[in-house]
Amino acid sequence: MIDFRFEIIIEYLPFFMKGMLWTIMMSLIGVLMGTILGFFIALGKMLPSKLLRLPFIWYINFFRGTPLLVQLFLFHFAVLPAILDSVNPIVSVVVTLSLNSAAYVAEIFRAGIQSIDRGQAEAAHSLGMNKIQVMRYVILPQAFRRMIPPLGNEFIVLLKDSSLGAIIAAPELLYWGRAATGQYYRVWEPYLTVALIYLILTLTLTYLLNYVERRFATT
Amino acid sequence: MNKLLKLLVLMSIILLAACGTDSKDKLTVATDAAFAPFEYMDKGEMVGFDVDLLAAVMEEAGFDYELKNTGWEPMLASVQGGDADLAIAAITINDDRKESYDFSSPYFESTHMVVFPEGENITSAEDIKGLKIGVQTGTTGADAAEKIVGKNDESISKYESNSLAFMSLGSGDVDVVVTDNVVASEYVKNNPEAEVDMINDQEAFESEFYGLMFPKDSEVRAEIDAALQTVIEDGTYAEIYEEWFGTEPNLDALKSASK
Repeated sequence: MIDFRFEIIIEYLPFFMKGMLWTIMMSLIGVLMGTILGFFIALGKMLPSKLLRLPFIWYINFFRGTPLLVQLFLFHFAVLPAILDSVNPIVSVVVTLSLNSAAYVAEIFRAGIQSIDRGQAEAAHSLGMNKIQVMRYVILPQAFRRMIPPLGNEFIVLLKDSSLGAIIAAPELLYWGRAATGQYYRVWEPYLTVALIYLILTLTLTYLLNYVERRFATT
Repeated sequence: MNKLLKLLVLMSIILLAACGTDSKDKLTVATDAAFAPFEYMDKGEMVGFDVDLLAAVMEEAGFDYELKNTGWEPMLASVQGGDADLAIAAITINDDRKESYDFSSPYFESTHMVVFPEGENITSAEDIKGLKIGVQTGTTGADAAEKIVGKNDESISKYESNSLAFMSLGSGDVDVVVTDNVVASEYVKNNPEAEVDMINDQEAFESEFYGLMFPKDSEVRAEIDAALQTVIEDGTYAEIYEEWFGTEPNLDALKSASK
């Protein structure tokens, strides 16, 4: 730490910025797809028939029970090449992140929905609402408020996990940190900068989520 | 609460003292044993060309040493911080790195290969322009490719390891892989079903040289460098080289590179 070479950071700053944009984009799509997919998986897992529930249960078991890095390798080197004509590391990262976070989001949704007292649904039914109306007007608005903090956690984890893309050469933030280290054989300058940028990103996300939480807190 | 605090302070003092008692009569050599055939793990033991060469050099110089497999980035950090006295890991000498480290004179000449799927029409290094290129980050292959298409060009993908770059070649993620001749031959030998061709373009790819890496102003560098020269001149080097690579080393290239 005696000599800290700022010129390395300055030289690589444009690359870090470019990488940061990819990190943000991959995370945004991952969050969006993960949330949508996760919602339907949560509904699937709450189906009345045990047989119909099974695929959803095993989806969650698989994606929660295996390391994300292993999933990334599987999708990048085996699954996606079999489906698509050409593979692209960015696509692999986005697909893997989406599918992975969907499993966690599904559990957050399920926990949120089931945390609402059964009596409320029964009361709404007795007022003549059908199942969809009960969900839409009674359960979800209350459940959503409870889901915001765990969802926020999940989004932050997802943003940081996108750094695994560096290993399959997706040109995101950590990738350029590794490239700078590869050129100069120095670890402090690139990785401290990369860490700082991740911190700025997650802090921004934290404050954004705090704001959302406050907005929904008013009953 | 007060007692707990005192205990914590005491424990940290003991811990610090324990760290300080590292004896300095034994040299610590860091490496990243994941680059066959230079250094890799064979049934839990570090083996390879670098490992044997280091043993010969240290015997010549009369140093006791301990070779530690720290991994790549911890290796850089420990040499820079002076925790390790030197590192050997097929490390390429170049000017960017000389700003932060001292190097021995070159001990290995590395030339480069372009590896591509069989049947592609690639005859010179220039042909990789416009194609997607896979390399291992921080290697001579990465430098060589960048000299042709430009530094950090969009067409270059820098992978964590050579094996990941080769896997991406297999899945069509990249069109060619540029890497050391020795690594490329090792890959083709181990993956005969991969159906790849290789070319070597001596003119476009300048040779790169590996060196032992020391902290700036290292006290042992001169002595170890002298021992390295002796090992190269007395034929021990050629023996080790032939044992690992099956060919004779080009000693003239090493000499002219060390000037």
